[in-house]
Amino acid sequence: MTTNHESAPEPAGLADATSPVKGEPIIEMEQVTKRFGTFEALKAIDMVVGRQEVVVVIGPSGSGKSTLIRCINRLEVHDEGRIVVDGTELSDDVRNIAEIRRETGMVFQQFNLFPHLSVLDNITLAPRKVRKVRRAEAEAQGRELLEQVRIPEQADKYPGQLSGGQQQRVAIARALAMRPKVLLFDEPTSALDPEMINEVLDTIKDLAGEGRTMIVVTHEMGFAREVADRVVFMAEGQIVEVGPPEHFFTDPQEERTKAFLAQIL
Amino acid sequence: MSATPSPALVWLRRNLFRSPADGILTVVSAVVVATVLYRTARFVAVTGRWEIIEVNLRLLMVGRFPDIHLPRVSISLAVAAFVGGLVAGVVHRRQVAAGTSAVAHLGTGRRALDLLERFWPVLAGAALLLALSRTTGPWVTVAGALAAGMAGRLIGARLPAVVHPGVVLGAVITPFALVAYLADAVGWDGWGGLMLNVFMAVASIILCFPLGVLAALGRRSTLPAVRWVSTAYIELFRGVPLFVLLLMSGAALGFFVPVDAAPGRVVRAIVVFTLFTGAYMAEIVRGGLQSLPKGQPEAARALGLSPTKVTFLIVLPQALRNVIPAQVGQLISLFKDTTLAGFALGLFELLNVSRSITSQDAFRGQPLLPEVLAFVALLFWIGSYTMARESQRLERKLGVGER
Repeated sequence: MTTNHESAPEPAGLADATSPVKGEPIIEMEQVTKRFGTFEALKAIDMVVGRQEVVVVIGPSGSGKSTLIRCINRLEVHDEGRIVVDGTELSDDVRNIAEIRRETGMVFQQFNLFPHLSVLDNITLAPRKVRKVRRAEAEAQGRELLEQVRIPEQADKYPGQLSGGQQQRVAIARALAMRPKVLLFDEPTSALDPEMINEVLDTIKDLAGEGRTMIVVTHEMGFAREVADRVVFMAEGQIVEVGPPEHFFTDPQEERTKAFLAQIL
Repeated sequence: MSATPSPALVWLRRNLFRSPADGILTVVSAVVVATVLYRTARFVAVTGRWEIIEVNLRLLMVGRFPDIHLPRVSISLAVAAFVGGLVAGVVHRRQVAAGTSAVAHLGTGRRALDLLERFWPVLAGAALLLALSRTTGPWVTVAGALAAGMAGRLIGARLPAVVHPGVVLGAVITPFALVAYLADAVGWDGWGGLMLNVFMAVASIILCFPLGVLAALGRRSTLPAVRWVSTAYIELFRGVPLFVLLLMSGAALGFFVPVDAAPGRVVRAIVVFTLFTGAYMAEIVRGGLQSLPKGQPEAARALGLSPTKVTFLIVLPQALRNVIPAQVGQLISLFKDTTLAGFALGLFELLNVSRSITSQDAFRGQPLLPEVLAFVALLFWIGSYTMARESQRLERKLGVGER
């Protein structure tokens, strides 16, 4: 745990975390450091994500993957460095934070649907209360989104009445309802029963196919290989290796990457 | 031994006489229960002398409220019942529309039974009061309130959705309007009897709820000044006995406020009840806030909702729902604790009336306190039990404990 990032091996000869494989930069992170007490969860992270790029972040638990994407919409406040999302730099200015949260949708491991609201109300709440969309319009859009995640018949139920896979698809629809420019997925299938993982992954693949900008933290390697434009491997708060999936999984350069892949594949 | 024992015998053995210890317990409890029931029934039907209640029914109900203004009490009750009916009708209509009504599919008879099951203690209490009454006033009052309630319910269920917010607003304003209407006739000091207890309880409940919520939120605030003030308020009022607070509001207020500027005793009692119960409500609500998974406010913030909207649209609705039982428990305590105001502030509320009527000339020297206390206890039980039952119903409706 005391690895100092100065002494970490340089990922020489690899794709750089700061060079998106496609698109203009939409998320830029420079020297981002995050501490919890004395523990450094993120150590001077540099990363750039391009428009329409799908970046999959993998790594052992505690490696800082979730913290990384939670800093992007300021659910965690980074201690050092800069984060710029679609031209807006994250600062203590609440207007900037509100602006960035409107432009980034997030899907959580535990779904975090609002249990006291119906499925449709879960989806329409933010458009109505934040974007001030009229109810009828928001509901029409909400039903379209439910159509898109293939559960239109669940609109009037409550989250507690749905399976985990259905809940997570509602959560995806809820994130999409704000028409975000970037989607952040924080281990979207880790809390699901095995038979429900694929329905959620398929939904996310559909979105990737539409050319959406996404950062996905996951342990699903097959999925990563299929949808990622770039795979980012993190360990101990640092980005260890970055590469297109075809190279990353077949020809990893770093020892830690090799060890991790050997364990998980 | 091939004869099969009768099912009743099997049941008895299995449930009441499974082992020797079970058998002893069963016999002892049966004796105790039978004795208590016998003594109670004897007291109610034979030895108890209830004419003191009959003679003083009016004092017990409304205190020294002047005769000429009594119609105001009847009208107020009818208006309250009408508004209550309106709200019930609107709620019913909305639940039917949302498909969440538990009774919509039932026939009229079954629904009447459901109402009877919900409100039988209140109805039985009203019937008892009518049976004890020697005048026609109570009959008119009860009949008027019932009719107004039913009319409200029927009209409420037919109101279009656009006026629903108006009905809710009206329901919030009505108690204040009725109090003004009654106080206009007699001032604050004319209030008495059960009416005063109910008034103090309702006013304090309405006021302590927002206070408790604000103090709970304040105690979790990131602003130190707000947090300190909230914490100081909560701990101060939780740490002092209610009776002491009431006595202080009577005796010690003079140190802070000029005598002629001091509010009347009823107002002082309401302020004390509100502050005291508000402190407890704050802690209950804080418990509800803490029980909420961190992911709930996080998800709401990630959607771009402002902190205020996160609190009022996501956090509070769930937190309050989770602590309904504790909240209602506290409000039941408040209702019962209104009897303390009689002794502490000399208010002529139900318990004070009860004690004073035993020293009337007609009843002096006769030990009638058990009778009046039993009557007082019954009235409070009716109110408290109904509140508890309605809160359980609300819990089921809102699915407390389900995720």
